[in-house]
Parts: sequence; structure tokens; C-alpha cells
Amino acid sequence: MTISEIFLGKQRYMYLVKGLWFSLGVTALSAVIGLMIGIFVSLLRISNFQPFSFISNPRLKKLSAFNPLSFIAKAYVMIIRGTPALVQLLLMYYVVFGSMAAPKIIIAGIAFGINSGAYIAEIIRAGIQGLDKGQAEAARSLGMSYGMTMYHIIIPQAVKTILPALVSEFIVLLKETSIVGWIGAADLMRGADNIRAQTFRAFEPLFAVALIYLLLTSVFTYFMGIVERKMKVSD
Amino acid sequence: MIKIQNLHKQFDNLKVLQGIDEEIKKGEVVVVIGPSGSGKSTLLRCINRMEEPTQGHIWIEGVDIMDPKTDINKIRQKVGMVFQHFNLFPHMTVLQNITLAPMKLKHQSKKEAEERAYQLLDKVGLQEKALEYPNKLSGGQKQRIAIARALAMEPDIMLFDEPTSALDPEMVKEVLEVMKELAQEGMTMVVVTHEMGFAKEVGSRLFFMDEGKIIEKGEPKEVFNHPKEERTKLFFSKVL
Repeated sequence: MTISEIFLGKQRYMYLVKGLWFSLGVTALSAVIGLMIGIFVSLLRISNFQPFSFISNPRLKKLSAFNPLSFIAKAYVMIIRGTPALVQLLLMYYVVFGSMAAPKIIIAGIAFGINSGAYIAEIIRAGIQGLDKGQAEAARSLGMSYGMTMYHIIIPQAVKTILPALVSEFIVLLKETSIVGWIGAADLMRGADNIRAQTFRAFEPLFAVALIYLLLTSVFTYFMGIVERKMKVSD
Repeated sequence: MIKIQNLHKQFDNLKVLQGIDEEIKKGEVVVVIGPSGSGKSTLLRCINRMEEPTQGHIWIEGVDIMDPKTDINKIRQKVGMVFQHFNLFPHMTVLQNITLAPMKLKHQSKKEAEERAYQLLDKVGLQEKALEYPNKLSGGQKQRIAIARALAMEPDIMLFDEPTSALDPEMVKEVLEVMKELAQEGMTMVVVTHEMGFAKEVGSRLFFMDEGKIIEKGEPKEVFNHPKEERTKLFFSKVL
């Protein structure tokens, strides 16, 4: 069987074209959800909320320093990072959406978004906490509020250190979506697998799909590289 | 202008400040010296609540800053602070560093704030650096910009936390000169420093601290020449 027969016969290349759009769609959707969750959870994590700080008994020091928001954020990150994405995806499909009809792209987008959110939260937290403490102190000493300090001083600087890690997280995310075939979604990976099943040829479709993933991540890396360089004016 | 009453600060089991009672009047230049770990930086940082006191009260211009109803951000606008490591904002130009707080907090127009910034830059002798980013400046220049940034809020009090300790020796003087000029203009200043020459020449009062207490104070030359406490004598014998 020639290469053109493998891909062009019965318009089999359409499996890859449609799969490509699905993969990109799921990645984009989960990137947006993940970013929103990540920002929110990282803010919970670094928040200064200590509702029991009025307890001054030194024996209850742990309780008076307890931050429930930070605790929730930590638990979320631990659970999501500590379990396989595939398990999370299947739980989302069979349990959470078990009795609900929803497009697979939505279900997968939410599952991957929740998954990615945990990693992104940690990336953002590390970026913010990695900044010199003196930066926040200088801003606060001028009379700026916590929010203003975050907005004008911390976040603009953190974005620069966060961006490279975020780029690799999005690349991981794109590749991770190749497991959506497990819930019967027709993504790029499943497209290649369909061609393999029809043609009994493994090498060509799998090689093609690997090449497409590589091409996508390379293009993305290239453009983000330009963005990063533009942000480095002050370094 | 600054009144401190029974101030204590404890980090876990470490008692850093153990009862400070002091009053600093308008126009005074108080120099705080002492061995490292004596609590002098912590004392300074309590004055604008960068450090949360464990116990005690502090009044700034009559306002109790420990009162939960006090808006500490409003107080801090009146109390400038200069740090050992400058802490300029690296993502902003010198001009933006100086104009950010006046524009956001005092709602000055950009033009107003920049005009004032150029005046301040002139004062610290760095007008030509207005459009540079901080990473292009030397340590001494950074610290002078940091002083200008604090002054842009028109504070009534300036706190200096070892402002020359991170500088190369040849840059110390240019920063001290700016501080001296500020003192001569009548700014109320509290300066934690190891610069004994500056303390003697510019300080109107000196606190010598050890183990979280002010153990000797007075007119700087007097304390330098005739220290009363053994601990002070020992310290001077090592640093002078």
C-alpha cells in the first residue's frame, strides 16, 4: 500500500483533519479553563486569610495561623496532580456527566481544564513567591494596597518568569489531549488510530500524527519565544 | 511626631524587641546603631507596620497605627521608607518608579507627577537617568532614586533601613550627601546605619540598641565621646 493510498484512499486524511480541529479545540478550551482556575487557585494559595487569628493562645498557634483558602487550594493541587489525567477524564465522562448529554469536546475541555489548572496554579504561585519580597515591601511602604501592589508591581514581574513555564504547560496539555479517544472523541490521535485499523499500517499514520503534534508545538514555541523576547526590554 | 510605647516584637520564640518607649519630635534626625540582631531594623520596620508588633502602641502624628480602624496605607503615605537593597521596580523606568505612587494614590496627573519627579531627580543629581531602567544604574544611583521615589509622596517622616550597607564603598558618600541635605531641610528622619561618621555629623539624637532594648541614647557626639554603658563602650571599641 502506498502512502497516498493510506491517506488519500476513502479520504482517510479527513480523520486527521477533523481530529486536528478537535484536538486544537479541546486544548484551547482547557487552556482557557485551566488558566482561569490556575489564577484563582494560586490567589487562594497565597492569600493572607486567617479567620482564626484572633485566637491568641500560643498552644493553638496552628489554628490561629490556619488559612482555609490556602488549604483548599493545596488539597486541590495535591489531588489533581496525584491522580492520572485519564482517571480524571473518565470520571468526568462516566460519573459527573454520566446522566447528562453534553458534547464530548465540552466534557474533555472541563476535565483537562481542571487538570491543567492545578499545574498552572503551581506555576503562578512559584512565579509570584519567587519574586524578591522587597518588591512588595517597597510598594506597600509607599502606601499602596495589597491589590494595587499585586496589579502594578507583582503580576507584571511574575508574568515574565511565569510565561516560559506556562508555554511548556500548554504544550503538555496539547499532547495530553491525545487520551480523549478513551471517551470516544475523534481527536488527532484517534484519527491516526482509525487509519491504522483500516489500512493495517501502523508506521505511516502514527508517524504522521507525531509529526503534526511536533509541528504544532514548534510553531507555538516559536511565537511564544517572540513574545518573551519582547517582554525582556527591562532586563 | 512618632510616639512609641511599650513596643514588643517576637518572632516565634525569639524576642527581638523587648519594650521600647520613645518619642521622636518633628525635625529630629534619630540615628539607630547597635550590633546586628539587636532589633534596630525591626524597630524601624514597626514604625510603618512593615513588621507587625506583638505588643505596644505607636502613634504617628497622633494617630494610633495599631488601632484596627486606622488605615495603615494612609499612614504609610506620610512615612517614606528606604531599604538596604533599594527595591526599585525593575520593570519600570526611573521616572515610572517615582511617579507611580503619586499618580495612583494622590491622583496627580501624569504631567504633575513627572514635573515633581524631575525636581526630585535634580535634587539627587540624576535627572539624566529619568528614562533608564534600574538595571542600568549603579548601587549608589539606585539608592538615590529610591530616596526620590519615597520623597515623591511628600512624606513627613523618612525611615532609612541601612541605606548604605549594600553599597560599594565609593558610592556610600553620594547617598549620605543626599540624606544630609534632607536632614538640613528639616525632614524628620530615623536612620538605622553603621555609618558612624554620618551618625556623628548629621544625627540630632542617637539610640544605641542591644538585645531588643535602647540601652543608651543622647546627643551623638556625647554618646560617642563619653559612652556610659559597658555594652556601648565595647561596641565602639570594636567599630571606631
